[in-house]
Amino acid sequence: MRALMIVVAGAGLIPFGVARAETPAGASDLSVTIYNNNLALVQDIRQIDLGAGRMRQEFPGVSAQIRPETVTLATPGAGIVEQNFDYDLLTPARLLDKAVGQTVELVRTNPATGAETRESAQILANNGGTLVKIGNRIEVLNGYGARIVFASLPPGLRPSPTLSVTLDSTRAGTRPVTLSYLSHGFGWKADYVALFDEKVGKMDVQGWITLTNSSGTTFDNARVLLVAGQVGGDQNQDQNYRNYGPRPVSGNRPGTETSSREALGDFYVYPIAGRTTLANAQQKQVSFLDVKAAPATKGYFFRNDWLNSNDAAQSFDTVLRFSSSRSGGLGDALPAGTVRVYMRDVRGQPQFIGENTIGHTPMGSALALKTGEAFDVKVQPTVASRDRITSDEWIRDEVYRVTVDGGKPRIVEVDRKATYWRTTMTYKITNAKAVAVTAEVVQSGLDRGWWAGDPRVPFESVKGEQRSADERAWQVPVPAGGETTLTVKFDTVY
Amino acid sequence: MARARTWFALTAAVLAGSAVPAVADGAPPPPQVVTSAEATGSSVTIYRAPHGGDGEFDLNWLEGYALITETREVTIPAGRATIRFEGVAAGMLPESAIVTGLPAGVSEKNLDADLLSPRNLYARSFGRPVILRRTHAKTGAVREERAVIRSAPDGSVILQTAAGFEAANCGPLNEELVYPGVPDGLSARPTLSVATESPAPARVRLTLSYLAWGFDWRTSYVLRMRPDGRHADVTAWVTLASSDTTSFPGTMAAVVGGKPNFDEARDGNDREPGDLEFHCFVRPVAPPVELGMAAPPPAVMMEAADIVITAMRREDKASAAPITVQGEDLGDLKLYRMPIPTTVAARAQKQVALFDRKVVTVTPIYSAWIGGGADTDAALMLRTRNRPQDGLGIALPAGRTQVFEPHRGEFVLVGGGTVADKAVGEIVEFGVGRSPQVHVTNEDVADGEAWSDHQVTVTNANPRPIRFEGKAAIKDGARISRLSHPLGRKDGQWLWAVTVPANGRAVLTYRVREPE
Repeated sequence: MRALMIVVAGAGLIPFGVARAETPAGASDLSVTIYNNNLALVQDIRQIDLGAGRMRQEFPGVSAQIRPETVTLATPGAGIVEQNFDYDLLTPARLLDKAVGQTVELVRTNPATGAETRESAQILANNGGTLVKIGNRIEVLNGYGARIVFASLPPGLRPSPTLSVTLDSTRAGTRPVTLSYLSHGFGWKADYVALFDEKVGKMDVQGWITLTNSSGTTFDNARVLLVAGQVGGDQNQDQNYRNYGPRPVSGNRPGTETSSREALGDFYVYPIAGRTTLANAQQKQVSFLDVKAAPATKGYFFRNDWLNSNDAAQSFDTVLRFSSSRSGGLGDALPAGTVRVYMRDVRGQPQFIGENTIGHTPMGSALALKTGEAFDVKVQPTVASRDRITSDEWIRDEVYRVTVDGGKPRIVEVDRKATYWRTTMTYKITNAKAVAVTAEVVQSGLDRGWWAGDPRVPFESVKGEQRSADERAWQVPVPAGGETTLTVKFDTVY
Repeated sequence: MARARTWFALTAAVLAGSAVPAVADGAPPPPQVVTSAEATGSSVTIYRAPHGGDGEFDLNWLEGYALITETREVTIPAGRATIRFEGVAAGMLPESAIVTGLPAGVSEKNLDADLLSPRNLYARSFGRPVILRRTHAKTGAVREERAVIRSAPDGSVILQTAAGFEAANCGPLNEELVYPGVPDGLSARPTLSVATESPAPARVRLTLSYLAWGFDWRTSYVLRMRPDGRHADVTAWVTLASSDTTSFPGTMAAVVGGKPNFDEARDGNDREPGDLEFHCFVRPVAPPVELGMAAPPPAVMMEAADIVITAMRREDKASAAPITVQGEDLGDLKLYRMPIPTTVAARAQKQVALFDRKVVTVTPIYSAWIGGGADTDAALMLRTRNRPQDGLGIALPAGRTQVFEPHRGEFVLVGGGTVADKAVGEIVEFGVGRSPQVHVTNEDVADGEAWSDHQVTVTNANPRPIRFEGKAAIKDGARISRLSHPLGRKDGQWLWAVTVPANGRAVLTYRVREPE
């Protein structure tokens, strides 16, 4: 037993692909370009000693999630005759299928004594059951009372998916062979750690690139490039998908600055310094951003749907606002990912206060992220009254027409007999904090389409701002440990 | 046997010929690996399940999470080094890991999830020799043979033996694989490692913090009514639970109230199956056989029902108040901190008192919707205001309530409900349940064109007067007239607030005129 173990230890490093008829490919010089959408471009340069003439070249160790239709191979002085990607996996069932017509050895064990007898058998068929011919007898191998021993493995069956290419080489000699293909099973996103100091209105942000390899294959010593974008996706589908997300809090504005990062077309690229190993089933993080003391502020946001009343007060969203611009911001384009926000507790230890996701964000953008809901700042919207008004009142209220950014009101001519409504909304805002806050209340649902626009606001206790045809916003100051009620009257035709 | 020996000699020769591939541009020496086996100190801050229920904990399925901060001491060498962190929570979200305190910072973080499982062991042993152990079912005779793995785990299990190629465990014998060792790179648990490069060797104190799944906490409020029915003693308990397999002894524990935003739909939790199935020529053999290699030790498991009480329960009313947690503001959230180090044990839950307030003023209110719909029993709640002069004045995290009444010298459970997060100054209504003693009858007594007359009767079978509040749901634009009692307004609804005499009734009549 001891002697056996020594042999085992010595033979413990048998490389992949040993004892194959075809030439195994040599050492790889790997480059992997990873996109956000579960996709990577793998470029694999191997120095291979090719003979002259037509030959078959195998490439084991390619990604198990390779998209074979995207494979290209380039090498000086050789042309491709055909390329094959073999999925024919070596399994016992396929092994027996391929052995039909061949002779195998059957080892029978006496059920009582354990004594073994051996005989040759020819496999006749393997359709639902295995038929063998032993001498002049035909038997069905039932319940495997015998072990089947095969003399060899059939050449077409492989333990893992393997790419093979038939080449027509004009000359012999070692030269680089460049293999490139797209593969699924890769992805990356950004993870941001933001330590927010509310008192001084600053935050420290670290950005990490998180990349995952679930392709089933380990890539050693690869050059890795990350592209901040999704390529080859269905653009229309993407756009539709976006409409179904929750409406964002106000204060997000796309930027117009260009980062000094490397770019590829419209995408920023993030190269990883040096070479790195992408192990299978590994999640790897590499730092790419470290900003200290960027300005950041906190705010409160609540959006009420049209005619919504709440029985109980509900929390405002806590919103963290910052910028990605060069002056007064993070000063970089931000690849899509998750922002995790921390604050120090009374003892100075950072504690998690919430996270949110961002899309690919150009430099110069204003960002407003909901980090959570405020325990101490709440609002209770109430439809205080809803009454019909006369057309005279409706006409009298024309002076209270709302406009967006001081533009022209969108006057709606109503042909049919309209019903005019006056809705009084109250928003009771309470603040149990020890400091005064300013909370933003947004009423949505003012734009009902072509027939029901032209709303008027004859009264509001705090001056509002018409953000869009649909939304009006108020910045409501609330004293420490106190409450403020915002009252707004809307005249509408719905 | 002679044949096999030749074969091994051959593979050894092939091995010598095809050495490990050389890297094209001069590879640096591999980094030294430093292992940090355990934390010297830790703190665990537990957050609730983002949309969690308020029922009992299922210790196999906790949907909240925790921020775990550990201090660790490691000796790092000069030059490039990889620091491996062992003993972290199994539910770690690696993308949230933060390591501070390294002299040169962190250049790279890795989480290796290639776990030591029968399947991975088989996959990594491809082309390597193993021992095939054959056991005769009847006689128990064991025979061991050398074999080489020739298939990937998806197509398992095909071996090359001295005789030729065979599928394992498909004959009359029970067959198992015995491996000579564990290949590099497989670990018993997902392991976080960081890469760093220090100019000089140093003994450093690191801080490692990360979010981890599998924790949760709840609040429960116990109200013991005083005999006057107008006051209650309120005790609040925080119960925290961990379904993780790692224990955090002597940790600074805290819980966070409020609602931080947290993305539940994160991937990466579903890992590859770890088992290795043996397939045969036609039909698979089930169940998969036990492998000869010793499995990793099972997770430490405690009794699921094990509840540890940290705080002292009062033995009599005169004794000291229980140890209570300390609350503080954390941005717009609330942090409740255990005052003393405690143990957050693996797969266990723990209770500690949040506060214990005597003589909280409560007003019993019976309520129902009126003016349409079915007859109903009124719902009883205990209303108070969360302020010091009424006995409270603490940020109350959402939780379940239980209400007890004194009865023959004991406290007996009479009902309960839930309460949402309540800030200081808010009205708090502790639900008790529906009362069979207070009944609401809605009747339509007359109607005409665009109007209808309604009558609401509240009957009280209690031997004491009660306070009743009925909210009336009236259509937009409808008008109420001919009221027998004046109505108030609350939350945009008409409100009938009335005292119903002991063993008596109260009647409201009114007319609703539909909008034109």
